Amino acid sequence: MTSVKWLTSSTARYLAGRVLQAVIVLWAVYTVTFGILYLLPSDPVELQLAAANVQVDELSPAELAAAKQQYGLDQPLATQYFDQLGGLLRGDFGQSISLHRPVGELLAERLPSTLALGATAIGLALVLGGTLAYLAAYVRVAWLKTVLNRLPAVGVSLPPFFVGLLLIQVFAFELGWFPATGTQGASSLVLPAITMAVPTAAMLAQVLTRSLDDQLAEPYVATAAARGLSRQYVQARHALRNALLPTLTLLGLLLGATVTEAVVAETVFSRPGVGQMAQQAVLAQDVPLVQAIVVLAAAVFVVINLLIDLVYPLFDPRITHTPRVS
Amino acid sequence: MRYRRPLLALTALATLAACGGGADAANDGDGGNPVKGGTLRIAFWDDAQGCIDPNQVYWIESRSLNRQFADSLTDQDPETGKIVPWLAESWEVNDDATSYTFKLRDDVTFSDGTKFDAAAVKTAYDATHALGAKSLLGLTYTAGYKSTEVVDDYTVKVDFDQPNSAFLQASSTTTLAILSPETYRQTPEERCTGDNLVGTGAFTLDSYTAATEAKLSRRDGYAWPSELIENQGDAYLDAIEVSYIKEDSVRVGSLTSGAIDIAWPRLPISEADQKVIEATGAGIESRSLPGISSSYFPNVGAGKPLADVKVRQALQKSIDRKSYASTVFWDGYPVVSGPFDNTTPYATDSSGVLAYDPEGAKALLDEAGWTAGADGYRAKDGEPLTLTIPAQNTTPGDQLVQDQLKQVGIKVELNVLTLAQYQAAAADGDYDLLATYYTRADPSVLGSVLDSGVSQAGTAQLSQDPATKKEISGLFAEGLQDVAEDKRAGTYADLQKLILEQGVMFPLYERVQTAGVASKVHGFAWTSEAFLRANDIWISQ
Repeated sequence: MTSVKWLTSSTARYLAGRVLQAVIVLWAVYTVTFGILYLLPSDPVELQLAAANVQVDELSPAELAAAKQQYGLDQPLATQYFDQLGGLLRGDFGQSISLHRPVGELLAERLPSTLALGATAIGLALVLGGTLAYLAAYVRVAWLKTVLNRLPAVGVSLPPFFVGLLLIQVFAFELGWFPATGTQGASSLVLPAITMAVPTAAMLAQVLTRSLDDQLAEPYVATAAARGLSRQYVQARHALRNALLPTLTLLGLLLGATVTEAVVAETVFSRPGVGQMAQQAVLAQDVPLVQAIVVLAAAVFVVINLLIDLVYPLFDPRITHTPRVS
Repeated sequence: MRYRRPLLALTALATLAACGGGADAANDGDGGNPVKGGTLRIAFWDDAQGCIDPNQVYWIESRSLNRQFADSLTDQDPETGKIVPWLAESWEVNDDATSYTFKLRDDVTFSDGTKFDAAAVKTAYDATHALGAKSLLGLTYTAGYKSTEVVDDYTVKVDFDQPNSAFLQASSTTTLAILSPETYRQTPEERCTGDNLVGTGAFTLDSYTAATEAKLSRRDGYAWPSELIENQGDAYLDAIEVSYIKEDSVRVGSLTSGAIDIAWPRLPISEADQKVIEATGAGIESRSLPGISSSYFPNVGAGKPLADVKVRQALQKSIDRKSYASTVFWDGYPVVSGPFDNTTPYATDSSGVLAYDPEGAKALLDEAGWTAGADGYRAKDGEPLTLTIPAQNTTPGDQLVQDQLKQVGIKVELNVLTLAQYQAAAADGDYDLLATYYTRADPSVLGSVLDSGVSQAGTAQLSQDPATKKEISGLFAEGLQDVAEDKRAGTYADLQKLILEQGVMFPLYERVQTAGVASKVHGFAWTSEAFLRANDIWISQ
C-alpha cells in the first residue's frame, strides 16, 4: 500500500530534483578538491614530480618540460580542470602518479575489500547498537539501566586504533582465533569490522536509546498499555518504529563516514583497501588518486542519503515527497 | 687481465658484530643440514614507492626483493666491500676509469628461457640509462654513460665520457641488474607493476601488488650465484611471500605468534621489541646500511650563524653521538664515526674529530663572538644564536640534539613542515641545518649530496663557501678517476677529513637495518648494501 503511494509522479519529480542536487554536490566536491590540491602555495608540478620520485633538482629545463607534459601538467589550469572533469564523466579517473597504474583499475581492485568491510561493520553496528538501545530502554533495574545508558559513551570515547590493536593482541596473538592482518577469507573481516563497528554502534545506541525513552513517555504508549498490550509489544511495535527516524538519519551520516573509518581499520589490520590507499595517496600527494577517492566517497554519501530520504515514508507515512504547493 | 680489488679492512666490523644480538640463534650452523622446501613469509613496514622494477627502484625494501629475482654483472662482498664476479667472469678497467670491458658467463639463461649474452646487457644498460630521472639511483650510477658496445657474444664494453671509477660497484647493485630483453619492450610504468619482470635470479617474481603483497618462487636449474653464496645451486625455499605491516606492534606480534617468519622494519627494532622477539627464541639480525650516515648539512649563506667556520666546528663538538646512540637506540648500538656508516668501503674512523667536547665548543663560540646571556643561550650583537632545522615530524632524537646544543648555548628551532613546505624550505635555503642520508656501498655516493659541481641540491650548493666547494669538487672528481685501490682510499680519506673539519657535514647516527628472524629460519644473509640474500635460507620443519 505504502509502496504504491511512494511511486507517484510527484515522487518521480522529487527524485529527479534530488538526483540533480546530487550531481551538483558531486561537481562542487570535485571543484573544491581540485582547488585545494592545485591552489596550495606549493608548486603542484614539483609535488607531482616528487610523488613520482622525480627529483626536480636533477632535471634540466628540457627534461622538466617533458616531465610536465607526461603528467599533463604543461596545460593551463583551466584545461587541466576540464580535461580531468571530462575524464571523470567518461569514467576515466586518469593515472595514479605514485602507483603507476590507472586509478579506475586501482579502485576496482580495492573497492570490494573495503565494501565488504564497511557492510560487515555497519551490519554489526546495527545489531550491537540496536540491541543495546533496546535493552537500555526495556530494562527496569535502575543500576543496570544506568550501566547500559553509559556504555555508548565509552564506545564513542575509545580511539579505534587502540581498539584495533587491543583486539589484535588478544584475539590474534594470544588466542589465535582470527588473523591479525590481510584479507584472506571471512575470518579476516571479524576484527577490523568490530573495530569499525564500536564507535558506530555506540552513536546509534545513544540516539536510539534517547528517542526510545522519549517515545515511551508519549501518551500513546500509556493508551496502548491501558488497552492491555504487553510492555514488550508496545516497545517493539509502536515505540521502536517511531524512534527509528532520527537513527535512520544518523545511519546515513555514519555510512558516509565508513571511508574515513576504513583508513584507520585498514592501516592497523594491514588490509589493502580504499581507506589505506587514501592515506597513502594523501601522503604521496598523488592528486589524481586523492581526487578520485574523494569524489567516490562523496558519491557514496550522496547516494546513501538519497536512499534514506526515500525510505523515510516507509517508516512514517506522514512524510511524503510531494513537492509543496506554492 | 682480470681486475680485482684487494681486501678492504673495515675496522668497524667488530662494532657491527657486537650489535648482532641473538643473530647466531637464527643463523646456520646449529640448525643441522639445509632442507629444501617451505615458504618464507616476510613482513616489511611499507611500500611507498609502489614499484618493483629493479632499474627504477630506490625503495630499500623493494630492492631486497629485486635481489632475489634479478642478478647483476658483479657482486660485492659485505665484509670487505670487494667486487667479485657474478654474471661477468672477469673485467678490465682502463686507466682513467672511462671504459669497462666485461667478459660474461656463457651458461646463464633468463627465467623465460632466453639466453643471457652481451646483447642482453647492452639492452639493459641502455634502457636503464634511458630512464633518466625516473631512476634516481641509475642517474648517479651511470653518470657520464656514453654507450655499451657488444664486442662479441659474451663480451661487452661500457664507455663513459667522464671518469666513473664507482661504476664497478654500480655494476653489482640491483639498480643495474640485467632483465631479459623482452622485459624492456614494456614502458617504465608497466615495468613498475612487475607483471612481466624476467631476470636470471634464483627466484622468479610471480606477482606483485604495490603496497599489498609480493610472491616469489624458486627457479629450478639456477647455477650461477657469485662466490659469496654458499649454496651454489637451486635455492632451498619453495617460495617467498611478502606483506606490508605498518604497525610495529602488529608486525612484532605477527612474528612472535608465528604468522610471519621475518619482521623487517625500516627503523631499528626497539630494545623492548627485541626482548619480546628474543623471548620466543627468534633472533635479531642487523647491519648498518652502507652509504652516508644520517647527518645534518649546514647552510653557510651570508648572515647565517653557520657561515662562520668556528661556529660549525663548535657544533661538531657539541653533539654527543655516544649518548645519542645509547639513548635513542640502545646500549651497544654502533656510534657513528664519520661521514659514512661503518659498512661503507673506504670509510675512515673519524671518532676523534667527532668527539663530544662541550668545553671546546664553548671556547670556540666565545672566540667567534657569541657570548652567553642570562637565559643560557648565546647572542652576538643582540642576535640570538638560533639554528632552524626543518623536519616533517620531530623524533626523540631531534629533541635530544636540541637539548645537547642547549648545553653549549645554541638554541635549536625544530620547524615542523608538511612535505611540500619542507621541499620549498630545502630548495630556498630556508634553514640552518638540513638532515639527509643516502644508501650506497661506495664512497662516491657522498658526491650526489655534497659535490656542487654535480648536484644542484641545497646540501651541495649551500653547505660550503666557494673555496671549500672547489676543493671538495676536486676531491670528488679525483675519487672518480682513481682506479688504483690505495689511491682511491687516499683521496676519500682526505675528503672525509676535510668535510668534518670544515663542518660541511654533521654526522648524527649510523643507520642500522634490523630484522627479527624466527628460530626455524636458517642461513639469513645480508648483501653488501644490507638487502636480503635468500639463496642460503632454509626452514627447519
